[in-house]
Amino acid sequence: MEIADGVTPQGLGQDGPDVLLVHWSNGHEGRLGVRDLRLACPCAQCVDEWTGERQLRSEDVAADVRPRKIEPVGLYALSIEWSDGHSTGIYTFERLAQMCQCDACAAPAPPDSRPA
Amino acid sequence: MPTEQQVLQALSVVEDPDLHRDIVSLGFVKRLALDGSTVSFDLELTTPACPVKDELKARCEEVVGALEGVSRVDVTLSAEVRRPRPAGEIMPGVKNVIAVASGKGGVGKSTTAANLALALVAEGASVGLLDADIYGPSMPTMFGTHAKPMPAGEDRIHPVFAQGIKLMSIGFLVDPDQPMVWRGPMVHGALSQFLRQVEWGELDYVIVDMPPGTGDAQLTLTQLAPLAGAVIVTTPQQVALIDARKGLKMFEQVKVPVLGIVENMAYFVCDGCDKEHDIFTRGGGRRAAEELGVPLLGEVPLEGGVTTSGDAGQPIVGRDPDSPAAQAFRKLAREVARQLAIRGMQNQPAGDSLSMTWQS
Ligand SMILES: Nc1ncnc2c1ncn2[C@@H]1O[C@H](COP(=O)(O)OP(=O)(O)OP(=O)(O)O)[C@@H](O)[C@H]1O
Ligand SMILES: [Mg+2]
Repeated sequence: MEIADGVTPQGLGQDGPDVLLVHWSNGHEGRLGVRDLRLACPCAQCVDEWTGERQLRSEDVAADVRPRKIEPVGLYALSIEWSDGHSTGIYTFERLAQMCQCDACAAPAPPDSRPA
Repeated sequence: MPTEQQVLQALSVVEDPDLHRDIVSLGFVKRLALDGSTVSFDLELTTPACPVKDELKARCEEVVGALEGVSRVDVTLSAEVRRPRPAGEIMPGVKNVIAVASGKGGVGKSTTAANLALALVAEGASVGLLDADIYGPSMPTMFGTHAKPMPAGEDRIHPVFAQGIKLMSIGFLVDPDQPMVWRGPMVHGALSQFLRQVEWGELDYVIVDMPPGTGDAQLTLTQLAPLAGAVIVTTPQQVALIDARKGLKMFEQVKVPVLGIVENMAYFVCDGCDKEHDIFTRGGGRRAAEELGVPLLGEVPLEGGVTTSGDAGQPIVGRDPDSPAAQAFRKLAREVARQLAIRGMQNQPAGDSLSMTWQS
């Protein structure tokens, strides 16, 4: 999802055991697989601070990893405490929008929709 | 006698000048009652510090009074401050947390924060003031109190009640004779604990007096405190503008809206004469605001009474409410409340919160 200025999450929800729903202020209904979120953790342990290289590999994360608690951070991000005890990642709203996996966002853009 | 529908119809021509919508569709008209030829209702605004409340009330009286069969219109002004964002774990009962910041020290940040808090109280709001300046807390002196905060259950503390506001200062918690040395990694943890500890209860506004500059402590505060907006204090000197720009950047990074800038010590008011002396180039605040692309929220004069009041333990808005500086702070408070109300209405009211516990 393209995130315009001032678009923020207005609420969160859950769809089954492993999908986080994000209700955006522009009406967009975001969906995020929680394991993909865990794998995308942007914290300094999971991503090398200097090279930007991802340290966390898929095999390091359990198939059934789940959030335990989600909290807002300031006006710009969420922090997630995970079932594997990890809790240092801060997910900016911008990032959450980019990662959106809802049908509309996941579908490949039709060729004629590119801006001229 | 008109019907309720006709009264609402008449009121729907009254527009809120800031929100550009009529007061009926904004939901401001409450408890409408018709009794004989008397029409009464509440006009519930989004802040008690609304700068145009009297005009709105007069407009309402006028349009309803013009209806046939109405001899009396009773409008009661009230306010329900809106919450621009969902409540989180920190300061959950506070509707709007406002940071008062500056790029550099000594520009009058603490003075502005204290007087802004008192001015909002004078408008009828419930207000807290958080002195988060870990390097040089000034609220104990400005409010003339060194009270020790009372514990509120386990590891939580109550703010101190002073001059109509709930006050908490980092200065209440540390020994003034043994100032703490704050080192990098400590700052984040200590401030985060401090922010969570205070039991604010339900408040319309909490003003945060930030430490000067844009270092670690400031970043931690802007990241953790649920800020609805920031007010940046500058002085007329050119250097201050460069610093203000830094302050602006810091808030932009964490998506805290900068409500605008205040030019402090903008002009000089001497004792005994009411003339405004421009000791610096006048209009600097306005130019700075334009350059930075934010509103100019107010201009506060340099006035001896500001300092004496601060030193005497009662900020000037309380001590000398008719002085030019106090009046400037009152005006500033209304402007801040107004900017917040505009932003609060632009965002959809946040129904549910952004905190959740995962159900497995
Ligand atoms: N408008 C004013 N007129 C006269 N004196 C003022 C005015 N504003 C501030 N002062 C004085 O300037 C001094 C610095 O003000 P203040 O402590 O509020 O600044 P600050 O930005 O909070 O400083 P610091 O960076 O040290 O926290 C104080 O002595 C205060 O009384
Ligand atoms: Mg200060």
